[in-house]
Amino acid sequence: MSEKLYSWFLRLYPSRFREEYGEEALQLFRDRARDEKGFFERLRLWLDLVADLAMSVPREYYHFQPEFFGVSAERLEGVPAFFVLESGSPRPGALFSGGLLTLASVITFSVWLSQPARYKPFRALASQSQSRAREHPTAVRRAASHRTDSARETPSALRPSDVPATNSKPTEAKAGDASSGVPRQDSRFSPPPPPPPHPLQPQAGQPDEAADTTVLVEGEDPGVNAAERHRVINGAIANLKLYYVYPDRAQKVSEALQAHERNGDYDGVTSGKTFADVLTKEMRGAGQDMHLVVVYSETPLPERPRSSTVEDLVRYRDALEQQNCTFEKVEILPHNIGYLKLNAFPDPSVCESRARKEMKRLNDADAIIFDLRENRGGSPAMVMLMAAYLFDHPEYMYSPRENTTERSWTRSPVPGNKLADKPAYLLTSASTFSAAEHFSYDMKMLKRATIVGETTSGAPHSGVFHRIDEHFGMGIPETKPINPFSKSDWVAVGVEPDVKVKAAEAFETAIKLAEIKLGKK
Amino acid sequence: MPKRKLSPLPSAAFQILLALVDEDLHGYGIMRQVVDQTEGRMRLGPGTLYSSIQTLLEGQLIEQVDARADSKLGQERRRYYRLTSAGRKLVRSEAERLADLLRVARAKKVLRGAHV
Repeated sequence: MSEKLYSWFLRLYPSRFREEYGEEALQLFRDRARDEKGFFERLRLWLDLVADLAMSVPREYYHFQPEFFGVSAERLEGVPAFFVLESGSPRPGALFSGGLLTLASVITFSVWLSQPARYKPFRALASQSQSRAREHPTAVRRAASHRTDSARETPSALRPSDVPATNSKPTEAKAGDASSGVPRQDSRFSPPPPPPPHPLQPQAGQPDEAADTTVLVEGEDPGVNAAERHRVINGAIANLKLYYVYPDRAQKVSEALQAHERNGDYDGVTSGKTFADVLTKEMRGAGQDMHLVVVYSETPLPERPRSSTVEDLVRYRDALEQQNCTFEKVEILPHNIGYLKLNAFPDPSVCESRARKEMKRLNDADAIIFDLRENRGGSPAMVMLMAAYLFDHPEYMYSPRENTTERSWTRSPVPGNKLADKPAYLLTSASTFSAAEHFSYDMKMLKRATIVGETTSGAPHSGVFHRIDEHFGMGIPETKPINPFSKSDWVAVGVEPDVKVKAAEAFETAIKLAEIKLGKK
Repeated sequence: MPKRKLSPLPSAAFQILLALVDEDLHGYGIMRQVVDQTEGRMRLGPGTLYSSIQTLLEGQLIEQVDARADSKLGQERRRYYRLTSAGRKLVRSEAERLADLLRVARAKKVLRGAHV
């Protein structure tokens, strides 16, 4: 028995060693086994053998065969060479089981990677982080905001960390899973969570919740007293002085707020939500800046934002891939009009190739319609990528969310692209949001596209979120981009369409306009 | 890929050479002899033993002699190994080197006792 075991161990040695000394080694083992009987002797024998194996097996492979030297000496400079460790070919059985094992592991991994949510341990992780996100929905969004702040080139509405947060929002339900850019909550993971009543999603590609939040918060608002009002005002002022990109305006806004407080203008305000709205209005008035906003959250705002995890990233990527990167429809309509329904501007790090593929499909169209009526925004980088197809030279795209850098110019012309001079139409609705407004605003201002539909939502989330206290936070612009256009941007007011029709009629209208333009009617 | 070296002489190789000074031995005999001469401190395992033997053979410090059975251990034929003159020379020079070392150690009073 033990001899058999040792002969198995001997297989660990290189075949040359085995051929030369295998039999002798076994013989030596037999001799020792015969001479060393008794429990302790046997134990010592095996300890010796194991230590010997551990020392000598690696050494045997390390000091291996002399023909290596020949090979390396003859090897040509820069020409790859193979070293053969075993001279004999493996047994057919070994080849077969090795092949089978390789195949099995490749299949296992590809299945696992393509369906991470079905993989049990992963599912546990996923539901765990989802429940965490439900507990701290605002933290998730703040995390997104903070990260965006440090890496402004790729702020994204469809950030990984938004996935759980978005899933837990009631407003998503009516928008449908396909349009939100994230998968619908899988009921196996967890029951539908309660709505988090936090109105601010900084720079997020989600519907403007301000109106919804009012409804959610009312009746449950515990109210604010004079002490809290004072604290919030002081906190807001401190944040403005610290972060606001225009120090003179910060001063002006601070003075205005203090004056109002002294005059007792806030004394009657007991609802947190109302107080936030009043402050927002006054700050916007005194600072002449629509990007300032104060928000009230009934759920306490956590001190530190949760940073997104690897699982978040994987889930985000997976969600986007499942939804074709939110390209809901891409087709050529009669009269060779290209139609593209895009429900978000997903992060190009995941979706660039998909976006390029879809744009290529429309390359031969005579006109192009971008349907952004259900677009919830996303990454400015994707806005730039899509916009590049509509110009034959680099064009400046203004965004209030980012400083002006070389990335503010489209990377036009796109090689092989034929759409740069084709008529373009954008369909908008009242829920066209954030990055989609960025796209619409610039296309309108550059007179590159005709906007058809409704005034867009006027996403207010262009600043960076700062916590004031447990229930109040504020958005403060920290960038000073150059707006070359005479009209102020869409923040808080939305993008006005060129042709104002109901969202439901926008498609038909745009088709008619395109047909007239193309002389088909 | 480095060839195994005999300089400095590994202690296992030295012990094997030393074991073969008096008589030709087979593998197990070498192992037993090494155990005896080190008072049980070094028990060469098969891997270490035969890889050292291989190295010593390559270095022509030992040579194989005709296989024969060891009457004490049964009928199995065993390969015996014998010290070559180069091997003998090397054992001596290595022992002298160690003796020099020992002298130094004594001079520095690292070791007690008078004999060398």
